[in-house]
Amino acid sequence: MTRRNLWIGLAVAVLAALSLTACQKAQGPQIEITDAWGRPSPKVATAGAFYMTIRNTGTEDDALIGADSDACGVVELHESFKTPEGAMGMRPVQGGKIVIPAGETVELKMGGLHIMCIDKQVDFTPGTKVRLVLHFEKSGDIPLEVEIRQPMK
Amino acid sequence: MSSGAKRGLGWALGALLLIVLGWWGWQRFRPYAFHGTVLQSAEPAPDFTLMSADGPVSLSDFRGRIVMLYFGYTFCPDVCPTTLFEVQKTMELLGEDADQVQLIMISVDPLRDTPERLKEYVQYFHPSFIGVTGSEDEIAQVATQYGIYYEKHEGTPATGYLVDHTATLTVVDRKGYVKLIFPYGTPAEDMAADLKYLIEH
Ligand SMILES: [Cu+2]
Repeated sequence: MTRRNLWIGLAVAVLAALSLTACQKAQGPQIEITDAWGRPSPKVATAGAFYMTIRNTGTEDDALIGADSDACGVVELHESFKTPEGAMGMRPVQGGKIVIPAGETVELKMGGLHIMCIDKQVDFTPGTKVRLVLHFEKSGDIPLEVEIRQPMK
Repeated sequence: MSSGAKRGLGWALGALLLIVLGWWGWQRFRPYAFHGTVLQSAEPAPDFTLMSADGPVSLSDFRGRIVMLYFGYTFCPDVCPTTLFEVQKTMELLGEDADQVQLIMISVDPLRDTPERLKEYVQYFHPSFIGVTGSEDEIAQVATQYGIYYEKHEGTPATGYLVDHTATLTVVDRKGYVKLIFPYGTPAEDMAADLKYLIEH
């Protein structure tokens, strides 16, 4: 290999690396999770709920498609809603996912979207910390630690 | 001080006194505006007897106190705890007057909610709360009498069936008449203000 070829090869490699990082920054979803918490509940209540704020600072939509936790037998994505009769109901989210559009923030909160923990395996007493893995359509798995605490208003 | 200045000061003081008196009078005598929806009931609230873990409970047991009725179920992890937490805060805001108010949760899921489950569930929110249930027919009758809608619908394999239900709180006054409805989401501060007014008048 001549000296000249080496320089060209090096330049190409640097350019490729630069454009790759530039692409990663400029495109795709970027998920940030804040204020994750779980609601305390009595032992006798078999189900619990997690809430959080999910922000997508990227340029592409993403979606929360599921979650897992050792603290729950099954984890499902739900929403509480008002029925046509004016009653309150709860159902799995439509389409099985919560879309987080690019540049937007979606709040999972009391009386609305929530991550439901069915068949609780631990006591949901204030101060307890629970490991939760969120599955996103594009961003993949995001693990986080969620503290059980009293609701704040 | 010149006599003109004295006169001016007198006028100013007089005007100030009028404003203060007027404001006091308005605060003192204006009609109270309830936050909840006020109902004018011609008949006393229908009495019922349902089962708690500590024996039968009738609405008429609480004549002379204010009763708040809530229809819900223990599997409900979002809407019911949100409301019961708000009532818990209301009780804290009422302070010593809290013993004038009795919350009774009536299960709309009598197949899964036993009196023992209900007791543990409601007492988690406040030690004074009572949970009751009955046969499916008894529950249906009480719910209908209080204009409460509830309907089972299929959930997922993990949740089993879910129950849509009217999530309001029904307030029965000390004489046993339905007086107020608190819609879902009424803040504790508003409920406490209304209940305090009912306790004092
Ligand atoms: Cu749910």
